[in-house]
Amino acid sequence: MDIFLTVLQGVPMTIGLTVSALAIGAVGGIPLALGRRSQIPALRFLAVSLIEILRGIPPIVWLFIIYFGLGTALPQLDPLTSAIVGLGVISCAYMAEIYRGGLSAVAQGQWEASEALGMGRQSVLTFIIGPQVFRVSVPAAASYAIGLIKDSSVAYTIGVTEIVYFANDQSRQSSDALGPFFIAALVYVIMTIPCAWATRALDARLRMRVAR
Amino acid sequence: MNIFTDWPSYLPELLAGLGVSVQVALLSLAIGIPGGLLLAIGAGSKNKLVRVLIIGVVEIGRGTPALVVLQIFYFGLPASGLTLTSMAASVVALAATTAAYTSEILRGGLQAVPQGETEAAGALGMNRKDTLRFIVIPQGFRVAIPSLIGFAILIFQATSLAYTVALPELLSQAYSIGSTTFNYLSVLLLAGLMYAAITIPASWLTGRAEKRLAQHL
Amino acid sequence: MPPMQEKPLTKPLAIRLDSIAKNYGEHTVLKNVSLTVREGEVTALIGPSGAGKSTLLRCINLLERPDTGCITVEGSRIDAGTNFTTKDLAALRRNVGMVFQSFNLFPHLNVLRNVSIAQERVLGRTRKEADVRSLQLLERVGLADKAKQYPSRCSGGQQQRIAIARALALDPRVMLFDEPTSALDPEVGLEVLAVMKELAAEGMTMVVVTHEMQFARDVSDHLVVMANGAILEEGHPEDIFTDPVQPRTREFLRAVLER
Ligand SMILES: Nc1ncnc2c1ncn2[C@@H]1O[C@H](COP(=O)(O)OP(=O)(O)O)[C@@H](O)[C@H]1O
Ligand SMILES: [Mg+2]
Repeated sequence: MDIFLTVLQGVPMTIGLTVSALAIGAVGGIPLALGRRSQIPALRFLAVSLIEILRGIPPIVWLFIIYFGLGTALPQLDPLTSAIVGLGVISCAYMAEIYRGGLSAVAQGQWEASEALGMGRQSVLTFIIGPQVFRVSVPAAASYAIGLIKDSSVAYTIGVTEIVYFANDQSRQSSDALGPFFIAALVYVIMTIPCAWATRALDARLRMRVAR
Repeated sequence: MNIFTDWPSYLPELLAGLGVSVQVALLSLAIGIPGGLLLAIGAGSKNKLVRVLIIGVVEIGRGTPALVVLQIFYFGLPASGLTLTSMAASVVALAATTAAYTSEILRGGLQAVPQGETEAAGALGMNRKDTLRFIVIPQGFRVAIPSLIGFAILIFQATSLAYTVALPELLSQAYSIGSTTFNYLSVLLLAGLMYAAITIPASWLTGRAEKRLAQHL
Repeated sequence: MPPMQEKPLTKPLAIRLDSIAKNYGEHTVLKNVSLTVREGEVTALIGPSGAGKSTLLRCINLLERPDTGCITVEGSRIDAGTNFTTKDLAALRRNVGMVFQSFNLFPHLNVLRNVSIAQERVLGRTRKEADVRSLQLLERVGLADKAKQYPSRCSGGQQQRIAIARALALDPRVMLFDEPTSALDPEVGLEVLAVMKELAAEGMTMVVVTHEMQFARDVSDHLVVMANGAILEEGHPEDIFTDPVQPRTREFLRAVLER
C-alpha cells in the first residue's frame, strides 16, 4: 500500500507534463500544418523537413539533446523544462499531421463557397475552416494524447519525478523489486483505458455529425 | 563549427550501437508479430472467456509504456529468480509490446477480409484452419502491411529505451561518448540523425506500400 | 448419371429438407419448409426479395444453421436440432458446390489457384493433379487463357464462370446457385446462364435461386415459389407460369414478367 501511494505521487507530474506538451503541440502544430499546405515551396519544404525530423528521432534522444546537449552549450534547463520543451516540439509535429488530416477532411466546396461569398483567404481560414478542422481533429488528437501519457515516461531518464521515477526508486529501495513496476503499469492502464474508451465514443459521435 | 568536426571519430562506436539497435528491433518484430497474429486470431475465438482474456491482455499491453515493460523484465524479474541479460530483456519487452500492438493492427486486417470469402471457402469444404491459413491470413497481412511498417518504425525508435538497461545500443553509445568528451550536443545530434536516416526513408516506404496495395486489391 | 428418359417420380432423392425453421431473434425467416430435389433435376427457387430463398439455399450446405429440421444430401443426414461434428458437416458439404451472387473469388490467388486450392486441401490432390483438373474445368467454362490472371483482371461474367469451375472442381453431386447473374449486366449474365444450361443438360442436380424467369421456365424441371418464409406452391414450371394456383404467385409473376 505504501508503495502504491509512493508511485501515485508521480501522477500529477505525468499529467502535468503530458498536458503542457500537448498544449505546446496544439498551438505549434498550426503554423507547421499551414506551412505544409503553403503555396511557397521553400516554406513547404521547411515545414515537411521539420515534421519529419521531429518525428524521425526517438523522444528520449530529443530529451537528451535538449537536457545534456544544449546544456553544455547554453545555461542548462532543469529536467522538467527540458522534458516539456522536448515532448512539446515533438507534439507540434504530430499535431501538424493531425491538423493536416483535418484540413483535407473539410470539403473543398467550403473554400469555394466562402470565397464565392467574397471572404478573403484569411477570414475563411479563421472563421469557416479553422473551427471545423479543430472539431474533426479531436479524436486523433485524443488518441495522440493517450500515447503521450505513456511516452512522457521517458522523462524519468533525465530525472523528472513522474510515475516511473518513483517506481524505480521504490524498486531499488524495497525488497520487492517487481511490485513497484506492476503498480506503475497499473496506474498507466487505469489512466489510458478510460481515455481510450472515451475517445472511441467521441469518435463515433463526431463521425455521425460530420457524416453528410 | 566544432559540432561537426568530431563526427568521423564518433562514427565507429555509433555504428556499432546502431547495429545493436537494429538487431533488437528485428528480433522483437520477428517474435512479436507472430505473437500478435496469435492474439488476433484468439480475439476472434468463439469461446467468450478466451476472447475476454485476450482482449484484456492486449489492452494492458497497450496501456503500459514500453519503458515500464522493459523495467519489469530487467529490474523486476530477477526478484522472482529469473535474470535476463540486457539484450534478452530488451528483446522480450519490445516483443511483448509488439505483440499487443500488432494484434490490434492484424485484427483489423483479418476483419477486412470479406465474409463472403470465408463462406466460399466453407462451402468448398475447407476447414477453419485452412481457411485462416490460405484465405484470411494472407489477405489480412497484406491489408495490415502499411500499419505494420509504421509500427516497426516506432519499435525501432523504442529500442532507444534500452539505454535504461545499459544495452550498448545507439543512444547508450552516444551518451557514453558524451560523458567522456563532454561534447554531448555533437554526439547526440549525430545519433539522432542516424535514427532519422532509418526512420524517415522507412516512413516513405509506408506511403509507397499503401499505394501499391490500393492498386492490387 | 440417371438416364434422362426415366420417369421423374422414380428418380432417387438428392436433397431432402424436412421442416426447416429459422429465426433471427424475433424475426421468422423460414417457417417449417420442406423440400425434395431429385437426382439430375434442376429446381428453380423464385419469389419476392426477402422471401427466404437465400436462407433456405444456405441451409442446404449449412452455411446457415437452421433452428430445427433435418437436411439430407446424397445420403448424409444432419439434424439441425442436435449437435453434429465437423466431420458430419464435411461429409455433407463434400457433395455440395455453391455459387454466390457476389462470386467470392479469392482476390490474392490467381485464377488457377482459386480453382485448385480446395482440391489440394480438401481432396488431398497434389498441386499437379489439381492444376490439371482446374485447367480442364477452366477450358470447359471457356477461360483457360485466364489461368494465370488475378480475379480483379477478369470481368464479372468471367469471375462467375471461374467460381462455377471452382465449385465443380470438387466433383460435387449437387450444385447450389444463389442469384448467380444478379450482379451482372444482362448480356454478360447470358454467358453464365449458358454454362449453367450446359451443366443441366449433362444431368447435374441443381438448385437455383433466380430472378431470370426465362431460365426458370425453360431450363428448370421443378419450380418452387417462396414468399414470407414459406413455399407458396411448387410444381412443373410451365404449369405454374401459365396457370398459378395461388393469387400471390399470380401477383408476383405479373410483377416480374411485366417489367
Ligand atoms: N443475418 C441475418 N440477420 C437478420 N436477418 C436476416 C439475416 N439474413 C437474412 N435475414 C432476413 O431474412 C429474410 C430472408 O432473407 P433472404 O433469405 O436473404 O431472402 P431472399 O434471398 O429471398 O431475398 C429477410 O427479411 C432478411 O432481412
Ligand atoms: Mg437472396
